[in-house]
Amino acid sequence: MTALLTAYVLMWPVLVLGILITIARGFAKDVAEARKEGRPII
Amino acid sequence: MPPAPSGEIVQLGIIGVLLLLLLFYGGTMWMSVAISRKKENADDYMTAGNRIGFGVSAASMTATWIWASSMYASVTAGYTYGVSGPIHYGLWGALMILFIYPFGKRIRAVAPRAHTLAEVMYARHGRSSQLMLAGSNVLGSVISLTSNFIAGGAIIAMLSPLSFGAGILIIAGGVLLYTLWSGFRASVLTDFAQVMAMLGAAVVIIPAVFFLAGGPSMFAEGVSAGHVTPQQESFFSSDAFMNQGAPYIAAVLAYAIGNQTIAQRLFAVREDLIKPTFITATVGYGATVIGVGMLGVMALYLGIEPMGGDVNNLMPQMVGTYLPVALVALAFIMIVGSLSSTADSDLAALSSIVMTDIYGQSVGRRNADPKLMLLIGRITMIVATGLALYFATARFNILDLLVFVGALWGCLVFPVIASFYWKKVTNKAFTLSVIAALAVFLPVRFQLIPLEGAWALLVELLAIIGVGVVLGIMAFGFFGLRPAIVIGATTTIAVLPFGFGFLRDFETLSGSLVAYSVSFLVCYLLSVRSSQDFDFSVIKKVTGDFDEETPVSGAEPRPGTDPDDLDRVTADR
Repeated sequence: MTALLTAYVLMWPVLVLGILITIARGFAKDVAEARKEGRPII
Repeated sequence: MPPAPSGEIVQLGIIGVLLLLLLFYGGTMWMSVAISRKKENADDYMTAGNRIGFGVSAASMTATWIWASSMYASVTAGYTYGVSGPIHYGLWGALMILFIYPFGKRIRAVAPRAHTLAEVMYARHGRSSQLMLAGSNVLGSVISLTSNFIAGGAIIAMLSPLSFGAGILIIAGGVLLYTLWSGFRASVLTDFAQVMAMLGAAVVIIPAVFFLAGGPSMFAEGVSAGHVTPQQESFFSSDAFMNQGAPYIAAVLAYAIGNQTIAQRLFAVREDLIKPTFITATVGYGATVIGVGMLGVMALYLGIEPMGGDVNNLMPQMVGTYLPVALVALAFIMIVGSLSSTADSDLAALSSIVMTDIYGQSVGRRNADPKLMLLIGRITMIVATGLALYFATARFNILDLLVFVGALWGCLVFPVIASFYWKKVTNKAFTLSVIAALAVFLPVRFQLIPLEGAWALLVELLAIIGVGVVLGIMAFGFFGLRPAIVIGATTTIAVLPFGFGFLRDFETLSGSLVAYSVSFLVCYLLSVRSSQDFDFSVIKKVTGDFDEETPVSGAEPRPGTDPDDLDRVTADR
């Protein structure tokens, strides 16, 4: 039970890290596309 | 096990807090100035041109949905209900983003260049439906703004010698400054930096508190010390579901439909990116909020007593008790980021509603002056900030107000969604169904009439139907009408034997459910015999840009911009 609860507590920051990387990569792609098209990102 | 907490928590001090706030609001201000234009476009001020990319939109949707209150509430759920508590707060909130996405695609398809949902209701039904939705949006956003200011004032007062009043003034001033000039564009872009700070802090803080507070051994020691009950140890706690999860499922569906901050992002993102944006925000919100809720679970197992008996103090208390000052500063930025990203979205939402629904549609889209519109939007932000500051200092009961607004939106969910799919729904059906639902909800939620005898049976019957309506709406978005009817009817029949004599003990849940069922029954019964055969293409023509930039010679008019179309379809509004 201790191992299960430990995994339960620590799985969330791992998932958050995955999303953080996804969003950061998406943002970098948005910036690159905006630069290529010569327009502001927003 | 680490040494027992002494009761003292790490302080950041006045200089530390002010430097962190200067860094945070200075950075967001710099981003806002970088994208500002001397002459802002009124439509971009509200929807950023309807073509923002995946990275910006996913960051913005995630940042907006995660607000300071959601972090505090998840920690409280973990402390109160144990291991399943944060799931029954965060998972349902996350799934609601997902359940709203199919409706979002439909809304965007019928109104590609709208600014607010209320504006679409104007095009679909007329002024009363529009004002009903706009009014509930304004109320909800002002309350949300107030709640975020309160959270900011409280955290500053707890981690520094500054007062609560000084804290809310700094937060309100910081958010207003960077949002005022560029509106939604500033809100969306700064959301990226804020979400990076929030998510990055969550990645570090959750495991740091876990290991510094004792690591895996805290669980066995907490059980042997008698800190947790069998229900709190269970992943399938019925207590957690009935008291936390179930009312929340009903309420959050309403929040996602009734909240202009979500609708605004729906209209801003590039249409082909709606799905990945909503999926990323679902996982991002769920993982962050449930993860932060683990601090409450840890506090429970460690046998921590909340400072001053207030569970809202638990999160800063856990962080301030176990973490070194550098990580406390990181946690501070996480909380300030979460409340600022939602507060700036509320300001942008409020300005859009007043610009579009109060000014724009009242003078007519062709007569609207974009310059005046922008001025109105900026004045709205200043007035809203002042109002929220007043409510924050008056210490109104925010939870009661939020429950009220949640139910108000619960009354709107079926009529709003049905209006996007069913040609027969009339303005009368929309308006009366919302009023009737509200009239039944209020006495149930606030127990104005004791829930006993025939009244209790009637309320339980309506609540049982409400369960079917909620699940039916969710199923409809993904699977269509037939499966929705089957799922809704089956659920209602399945709950029938258990609901009577049981639901009356859960007035929050029953109140939300009757709001759904009454609005569904009245809207359905008034519409089913209606001869109206609404043409959905009208919506595209009535909603559209207010601020026409230099038109391209010979180009086809964008949806909603052809003056002849507009004259024709708005003649009877």
